[in-house]
Amino acid sequence: MISAYYFGAIALILIGLYAVLVKKNLLKILIGLSIMETGVNLLLISIGYVSGKSAPILSESITPSQAVDPIPQALVLTAIVIGVATTAMALSVAIILYEKYGTLNIEEVRRLRG
Amino acid sequence: MNQVASLLIALPLISAFFVPVLKQINKSLIKPYLVLITLIQTGIAGWVFKEVYTTGKPIIIYAGGWRPPIGINLYIGHFAALFVLIIALVSFIMAIFSLKAVTTEPIDKYAMLFLLLMLGATGMIATGDIFNLFVFMEITAITAYALTAYNKTGEAAEASMKYIVLGGIGSSFFLVGVALLYGATGTLNMAQLAELANSINPIVAQVGLALIMFGLAVEAELFPLNAWAPDAYQAAPHPITAMFSAFVVKAGIYALARLLYLLQKASGWSSLLRLLVIMATLTVVFAELSALRQKDVKRMIAYSSIGQIGLIALAFSLGTQAGVDAGVFHMVNHAIVKALLFLAIGYVGLTVGGTTMENFEGLGKRMPLTALAITVAGVATVGVPLFNVFWSKLKIILATLQAGFFWAAVLVLFASVVEAVYYFRLIHRMWFMGGGTRIKEGAIAGILIILVAIIIIIGVDPAPVWNIVVKAGSDIFNVANYVKNVPLMGVGA
Repeated sequence: MISAYYFGAIALILIGLYAVLVKKNLLKILIGLSIMETGVNLLLISIGYVSGKSAPILSESITPSQAVDPIPQALVLTAIVIGVATTAMALSVAIILYEKYGTLNIEEVRRLRG
Repeated sequence: MNQVASLLIALPLISAFFVPVLKQINKSLIKPYLVLITLIQTGIAGWVFKEVYTTGKPIIIYAGGWRPPIGINLYIGHFAALFVLIIALVSFIMAIFSLKAVTTEPIDKYAMLFLLLMLGATGMIATGDIFNLFVFMEITAITAYALTAYNKTGEAAEASMKYIVLGGIGSSFFLVGVALLYGATGTLNMAQLAELANSINPIVAQVGLALIMFGLAVEAELFPLNAWAPDAYQAAPHPITAMFSAFVVKAGIYALARLLYLLQKASGWSSLLRLLVIMATLTVVFAELSALRQKDVKRMIAYSSIGQIGLIALAFSLGTQAGVDAGVFHMVNHAIVKALLFLAIGYVGLTVGGTTMENFEGLGKRMPLTALAITVAGVATVGVPLFNVFWSKLKIILATLQAGFFWAAVLVLFASVVEAVYYFRLIHRMWFMGGGTRIKEGAIAGILIILVAIIIIIGVDPAPVWNIVVKAGSDIFNVANYVKNVPLMGVGA
C-alpha cells in the first residue's frame, strides 16, 4: 500500500506535467510548472517524514530522537525560493511576449524557425 | 591557504552585489568593473590551476569548517581546476567584448547577471554535494533565462520562454531524482553516495539516475531536450551566446558525467550508458543536419555547437577511460573554438548589422582578420589535421570503436562530413563572393588572432594539453580515488 503522501505528490507532478504538455495558453503552462514544483516539494518533504514524530526544532520537550528528518525541510526551503524565482522570471517574459506578439497562444508565438 | 580557492565562488557573488551600488555612483564605471572582476577571477583560477597541477592533490574546501558529509564541500580536482580556469578566461574575453557589444540596454542588470552566470558555472564544476549542484544549476539556469531575454525583442522573449519551460521541467525532474537518491541512501554528498552506490535498491537507483540524467540533459542540450538551444543562441546578446556555448553547456555535461561515474556500481548502470550513447549520437546527427539548411549564420553555428556537445556526451557515455579523456580534450578544444567563432560572428553582426548569410558575403575583403578567424575556427571544427579539434575528434572516434559502438562511430563521422559541407559553404561565401570596401577592425581583432594562434599551437603539438587532459579525465573516471580524497566523517548510514 503506497502512502497517500507519495501518491498525492506524484499525482501533482503528473498533473503539472500534463498541463505543460497539453495546454495551449502560456499562462496555463506556467501554472502547470508551478503545480509540478509544488508536487516535487511535497515529495521531498514526505521522504523525510517519520511517522508520529515532531517538528525538528529542539526544545525542552523535544529531543533529537523525537524529530523528523530536518534535511529535506532545508532542501524544500531552498527549492521553494528557486521555484518562485523561476515563476517570476517566466511571468515577466510572458508579459514581454504579450506586448510583442499580442497573444499568449503558443501556437501563434512562432517567429524563430528552422 | 588552500581555502583561498573559495574566492572562486565568493568573488563573483560579492562583486555582483556591488554592481547596483556602483550604478548609483557612475554608470560608465560598470563595464570596466566587469572586466576588472573577471580579470581577478582569472588570476585566482590561474593560481588554483597551478596549485592543483604542481601538487597533484585536489583542493577541498569545507563550507563553514564542517567536514563532509555533514557540511558541503567543494572539490577542486584536476578537472575542476582546468575548467574553472577556462570559465574565467572565456568570461574575461567576453567582458572585454561586452564593452563594445552591449550598448543599448540597462548595463547594470547585464553586469550582475553576467557575474552570476560565471558564478553558477564555476559552482557546478566545483561542488561536491548533489543538492548544492542543483542550486548552482538553478543559478546558472535562471541567469541564462534572463540573459536570453535581455534584448527585449519578441524573438528573445520567445526563446527565453522555451528555455524556461524546458528548464523548469528539467530541474523538477532533477530534484525528484535527488529526492529518490536521498531517500535510498540518506546522504547528499557525492563521495558518500559513491560508497553507498552498490547497496541502493536497483529500481530506485535506476529511476533516480534516469531522472537526474533527464534533468541535466536539458542543460546539456541532448537530443530530445535541446529545442531551446538554437533559439536561445540566436536571440541572446553576442557575448552571452559565446558563454553559453563555451561553458554553460559544458558545466551541465560535466555534472552529468560526474554523477554517472559516481554511481557506476549501481545496478542498471550500463543500460543507462547505452541510452546515453543513443541520445548523444542522435544529437550529433540531428544537429548537423539541421545546421545544413540554416540561413542565419549565428543559428547555424548554434546547431554546430550542439553537434559538438553531442560528441562530448558520446565520449563520456562510453564508460571507458579512453572515452572520458577524449571527451575532456574535446571540451577544452570546443570551448576555445566556439568562443572564437561566436566572438567573430558577433563582431560581424555588430559592425554589419545582423548575422544573416548575405551579410557574410565578401567579408574576406571587408574584414579580413575576422574572416580569417571564422575560417580557421570553421576548418578546425570540421576536424582538419593541424588544428586542435582534429586530435580530439580522432580520439573520440577511436575510443568509440574500442568500446564497440561501430554504428555510433559511423553516424558521427557521417555528421562530420555534413558539418564540412556547411562550413565550407560559409567560407566560400566569405572569400569568393561579393565585395565591398575595407572596414576598420578594432581591438577585438587582436583577441581573435590570439585565439587563432592557440588553436594552431594545440593543433601542431597536442601533447602538453593532452597530458593535462589525461589527468583531468582520470579525475572523473577514477571514482575510488575521488572518494579517497574526500575525508568523510564516520557518520550517517
